Amino acid sequence: MMLRRLIVSITLAALTPCCAFADTVVPGKSEIAFTMKQMGVNFDGRFKNFKADIVFKPNALDQSKAAIDVDLASLDLASTDSEAEARGPQWFNTAKFPVARFTSTSMKSLGGDRYEIAGKLALKGITRDCVVPITVKTDATGNRTAEGAFVLKRLEYKIGEGEWADPATVADDIRVRVRMVLQPGG
Amino acid sequence: MIRTASADAYDRRYDAMAIALHWVTAILIVANLTLGLSMVGLPISPRKLHWYLWHKSIGITIFVLTSVRLTWRALHPPPPPVPMPAWQQRASSLSHAALYALLLLIPVSGYLYSSATGVQVVWLGWLPLPDLVPKDKPLADGLKIVHVTLNSLLAITVCVHVAAALRHHFIDRDRVLARMLPLARPSEPLETPMARR
Repeated sequence: MMLRRLIVSITLAALTPCCAFADTVVPGKSEIAFTMKQMGVNFDGRFKNFKADIVFKPNALDQSKAAIDVDLASLDLASTDSEAEARGPQWFNTAKFPVARFTSTSMKSLGGDRYEIAGKLALKGITRDCVVPITVKTDATGNRTAEGAFVLKRLEYKIGEGEWADPATVADDIRVRVRMVLQPGG
Repeated sequence: MIRTASADAYDRRYDAMAIALHWVTAILIVANLTLGLSMVGLPISPRKLHWYLWHKSIGITIFVLTSVRLTWRALHPPPPPVPMPAWQQRASSLSHAALYALLLLIPVSGYLYSSATGVQVVWLGWLPLPDLVPKDKPLADGLKIVHVTLNSLLAITVCVHVAAALRHHFIDRDRVLARMLPLARPSEPLETPMARR
């Protein structure tokens, strides 16, 4: 675990020079949350720790990019029991796959304050295309709030295997919500 | 003493609706106590989730049935008490009142407990019920103690209730139990409840 964290840190540090103009993600206001449906009941969860490397230039979308690493073990669920279960091998298997990574490949405008980010989501050793529509609002201080939501099909990533694979118990669709509050870099 | 009482007092039975509600509730109580005690120790698994769903659904059902029963009872008064010593009469009124109160309070405490842990109650996995209190860990811990304590009281009261019914039937040989049995005939001979066996 420690070694992996260290490697992730070093990798991120090595990437820093190229990100001189990266936006600063405001930690307290940014959030990665999700809603899962378990036998008809909605459960909300979130990931407490993540690292986001984002450059967002509305006028230069081809130079814009987003890379988000999510510390899967930092998930926050209804109870500590369910958190322990979710870290376990049948769910995220955080011992083997500690980080989920989203890397953007392209961004395009959908008109107004709406944009679409296409990218790759690597989760539990499986990488798939992932498209996230977002809205971006700029407040008086110049900070940008980007909010997006998408449906993640958990079974495509083998999140919940074996006895948990039945979508009648836990629905396949997991609604993921991302909110990033950014101080534009330069 | 029994023989001096009016024929009406021991011939009259509970009506069919009251009898049906009583026995359905009895089966659900035993099922739900068993389910509740078994499910808490299970490791997290789909089975555990299903057992919790059933436990909560049965609890809500008991609450609804008890509300219907009390309404029915108000509109259709039960038969007059079978003659018995005054202390037994008092004890029976008291234990029946306690049973009704517990059958309403226990589902409510469980429902609130579920809400406080942040788990919405969905009756039979089909009818979502509103969360009555926000997610609150200390409140949930308190409600858990309330729920378990009330259930212990229920288990004790049910044992007293069953023991009293059996005592009336086999020792006092009166019609206390027979008038709540679905198959007993109203005009059964009273003096020989054992002879039928």
